[in-house]
Order: sequence, then structure tokens, then C-alpha cells
Amino acid sequence: MTRRRAAAFLTLLGLALCGAAQAATPLLELSASAAWKGWSRPGRATEVDIRIGADAAGQATLDLTASRLSARAELDLQPGRGQRLQMLVGAAEQVAVVATPAGGAAQRFQVDIARSESPILGVALAAGGAARLDGFHSIELAADDLPRNAAAYASIDALIVDAPTLDALDARQRDALLARAAACDRIVVLNLERARRPPDAATGCAGGALASAASLPEALERLQASLATGLPRPMAFAGIGELAPPDAGVWQTVAVALGLYFALTASMLIFGARLPLLLALPALCAAAVLPLLHALTPPSQLVVWSEGASGAPLARYQAWQRFAGVRRERLRAPLPPQLAAGAQPCDARQALHFDIDARGGRPAAVAFDTRLFGRTPLCYAGTFPMARALAVDDGGADSRQLRNTGAAAWPGGTLLAGGQAYALPPLEPGARIAVATGTGRAPDGAVQRIASIRTQAQGAPAGALWPLDLGGVAGLPRDARGWLLVTVARR
Amino acid sequence: MTHAPSMRRAASSAAVCGLALAATVAVWWLGSTRLALNAGADASGHAASALQAAWLVRGSALALLAVRAGALRGWRHGAGESLALAAAWWPVAVLAWAASTLPWTQLALAEGLLLAAGVALPALGQRLGAALRQPDVADALSVLLGAAFAAALWSAPGRWVWGG
Repeated sequence: MTRRRAAAFLTLLGLALCGAAQAATPLLELSASAAWKGWSRPGRATEVDIRIGADAAGQATLDLTASRLSARAELDLQPGRGQRLQMLVGAAEQVAVVATPAGGAAQRFQVDIARSESPILGVALAAGGAARLDGFHSIELAADDLPRNAAAYASIDALIVDAPTLDALDARQRDALLARAAACDRIVVLNLERARRPPDAATGCAGGALASAASLPEALERLQASLATGLPRPMAFAGIGELAPPDAGVWQTVAVALGLYFALTASMLIFGARLPLLLALPALCAAAVLPLLHALTPPSQLVVWSEGASGAPLARYQAWQRFAGVRRERLRAPLPPQLAAGAQPCDARQALHFDIDARGGRPAAVAFDTRLFGRTPLCYAGTFPMARALAVDDGGADSRQLRNTGAAAWPGGTLLAGGQAYALPPLEPGARIAVATGTGRAPDGAVQRIASIRTQAQGAPAGALWPLDLGGVAGLPRDARGWLLVTVARR
Repeated sequence: MTHAPSMRRAASSAAVCGLALAATVAVWWLGSTRLALNAGADASGHAASALQAAWLVRGSALALLAVRAGALRGWRHGAGESLALAAAWWPVAVLAWAASTLPWTQLALAEGLLLAAGVALPALGQRLGAALRQPDVADALSVLLGAAFAAALWSAPGRWVWGG
């Protein structure tokens, strides 16, 4: 009798637990869309905006797959409080989004991305309306079609946005747009003066005003005119990677280990070791190789290259990080939080997996398969506030007058002018210094050479190069270095 | 017992031969890897090539040596010499595998086949020696047989093991 009661109790308990589990599984509402109404260019980055809601509190896992890139976020869902995540992806043909509640069935959503061979002109007018620019594929946009990640602006080639649409953007969209305007993307605002929240005066290209037009034809005319002049393009990621010194530490360790093994075996042969020892030594050394590889710490290098115009409030940066492999494994590396929002594969063929921090809406870690001597690069792009302003005056044939026109002092660096490099001493705000032209020398090293070439390519008569102080950036590898190039207009 | 020093010399010679092969391939692998790393290229292909090359060269040397050693000195000594020849590469093999994209099962299969051949070929040589009873003829025939095995290794089986 007691057994029967116990069995009945257990059955009821099991049923109750099953019911509770059923009730706890939230019903998900999942939708996703790509920025720019789903348009992008081959090989360019774009953004997928994912919206997820639930009718009950619970946990869910969100997975995103775009070609060889994948990402996962653990979500804490609450009823009536939908979550949005914007993820930067390469312009794959299809992006698959899968949401799986804990203990429930997965829901799938597919986002198709159309890739235009022609340059794309985005037209975001609150009143609607199209605009055409010769050779461009024109797309009409609403405010919500604009991305939150500045890197997703790579998908388009020109943008016309009017003041009401500018006002309708949320803070992240606005920051992304102004960052791209500061980076000299072709962006024209229609009737900027009518905006309720006009941007600062110096948020446009090279610290100038944001390009504005009074009418749509004028905006098109300005864009057409801008096509005649080349805009400063960001440095290629591969070029930044070349600034990292070659790291042969792992290779040297392996070479030394093999050298020791061969020397030991040779000496045993010289001293007439017996066969069992001749077989045991290679077997033991082979067994010791794996612990040796596990004892090695995978080194990582980070190079940051940033550029800005003198007086501009923002500098554009691109960073390149290399993870060196020491053994066959799936390596998971945390990302520096201040750089993580702009993390992206350097190459679309790379298979990378990002762990997304759902609260922060940005990647927290990257995972990839690696091996001994394997090198996996990861790239970052974004902007940071800058307060460097300087003016260079011709002080005659023998010298240049250099003046700190900003509100902050600057440290010692290098002045690049006329293909020559000059020592740039620390200077207080408002102070000036004469730099003798005779003290110039040929740019020394890859960094100065690239800075000199980019200064000239941007049509600037001079540029100032400083090592970037990365002390305030958390989570950087030990071997991290960076530079800031500020281009100067002649006065 | 009077042959013991010459037996040990034969095993040492096989080990020296294996060590020289391993060192040669290791130097080539490390050199080409360093060049690839300096050029920013992927070095995993060089590791796979090194594994394949070392397997083929050791397999050929083993085929030439093992049958003859079995015919002249018996199965036990022939197997010892074969293993001494093959084993010197093992530490380099583990490192090259760690640097390659090959599955570990492929490396284990390749090394297992080599070890099996190192045991089976001397046994074949011993039977050959016992059947012929004339050391000179057995020597010549075992060399020919070994050469035939080595030639066969460079064709179908090598491709099968390494997926070529």
C-alpha cells in the first residue's frame, strides 16, 4: 500500500514538474532586418537588426550565421519587454537568425541581403521621394533603416538625409552617422538648419561643417561635385597589420626544442645507446611535445592606426589584432570592451564566432579554430574623441612656424612635411615653435613612411604623428601599440 | 652472441639514418614555415607536406632495409632496425601535426601502417632467407623485393593514406 502511494506521489510530482516546465517555456516573437533596406555591396559590412520578444520570462539563446561568421547571445527575456540587437555582419547573401528558448522549440528567421554591383545612394527623406545620381543605385530609406554601427556605412557610397529624419534617429544611429560624416563619407543633410538637434559645427569632413543643402537638386549637385575629388579613404587593414613587428617567438621555441631533441639523440648514438633506449627517447619526446605546447601562452599583437584633421572633434581609428596559435584548439579570446563594438573579420573567408553580450549589445569574445603557427587576425574600426589642433605657417625658406591652436598640450612626436620628418617637441596650448627646415630627415621606419605618404595623399601640406596613448583602453594585449596622425592645413 | 656488436651497429645505423631523415625534413619544414610566416601566409600546408614527405621517405627506406635485415639477421633484429629508423621522426611528427589541419586519425593510421610494415617486412625477409638458404641470393632478392615495395609506396598506397 505504501509503495502504491509513493508511486502515485512520484507520478503526480513528475506530471506537475512537466506542466511547470511547459508553462515556463516562453513563446518567442522573432524578426530581423538588414540595414539599408537589405542592400549592401559585395565584400562590405552591413548590420542586421534583430528584435525578439516573449510572452513569459525565461532564458533564450540567439544564434546568427552569415556565411562563415557566426554569433551567439544569451538573452534574459521578460514579458512585454522586447530586446533589440544590432550585429555587424559581412554582406552574405543570407543571414540566418535562430532563437531557442530554454527547453522550447527553435524559431528561425532568414534575412536576405541584396548585393549591388553599382554604388549605392541612400535617400532618407521623411516625406518620401526618390533621387537619382548617374551610375548609382538609389534606395529610399526610413529612419529605422539607418544602422547603429558606423562600420555598416561601408554598405553605401553616398547618403542624403533630411532634417526630420536626422531628428528621428536614435542616439546610436546619430552617433554612427556623425562619425561617418567626420570620416569624410559622402553625406549631405537637407535643410540642416531646420533640425531640432543640429550637430556640432565641427562634425563634418576633416573637422568642417556637416555638408548641407537647401534642396534635393542642390544635394545631388554637391554629391556629384564630390565625386570629382577623391576622399581620404581609411587605411587598408592589411597595411595596418604590416606595422606589427614579426613575432617569431613560438617558431624559435619549436626550433630550439627540436634542436635539443636531435642533439640528445645524436649524443646517445655516439655513446652507443642500446635499441630500447633509441626507441624510448623519441616516444618520450613525442609525448612531451603536447604538454610543451600547452605550456606556451598564445601571444597576441594589436596595432591601432588613427587619423584625424587638425581641430576635428573625432579621429577615425582602425585596429588590427593578431592571435598566434600554439596548438590545435578552439581558442576563445575576450575582446577589449572599448574596441569590441567595431570588431569584424579582416577577411570574409575567415570563420569566426562572436559571443555577444546581450546587455551591452556588442561582442564580448571571439572564438576560432587555431593551430601551431596559425595566425588569426581580427579587425576593428571606429572613432574616438580627439583634441589636437595645430597650425603650420611658412616662416620663410629656413623654418616653419608651428603653433598649438588647441586647448590641450600635446606630447613629443614627429612633424611630417614635404616628404621630410622633423622632431616635434611637446607644446603647451597657444605656444609656438620654429622648426628649421634643415633639421628634416627622411622618414625613418614603416610608421613614419606610411604617415608621410598618407599626409601627402590627403593633400595636406603637413601632418603630425604621435604614439597613441593606449593606457586608458582596457583589455589590450601586452604588445599593443598605436599612432595618431593629425593632418594640418597650411595657414 | 658473436654477432651482437654488428647487430647493435646495424640498429644504430638505422637510427642514424632515421635521425638524418627526420632532421632534413624538420629543417625544410621549419624553414618554409618561417618564410610563410614572414610573408603573412598560411603555414599549415607546409606542415602537411612535411608529414607526407617524411612518411614516404621513411616508408621507402624501411622497405629497402626491413626485408634485407630480416633475410640476413632474422625477424627480431630486422624489426628493431625498422623501428629505430621510423621512430626518430615521432617528435617532429607531433609538432607538424599540431601545425597542420590534418585529423589526428590520419597521422595515427600512417604511423600505424609504418610500424606494421616494420614488423611484417622483416618476417617476410626471414622466410625468404629460410626458403633460399643461400645468403647472397637471399640478399639480392630481398633488395629487389624491398625496391618493389618502395616503388609501390610512391603510387597507390601513399595517395590513399594521405588522401592525395
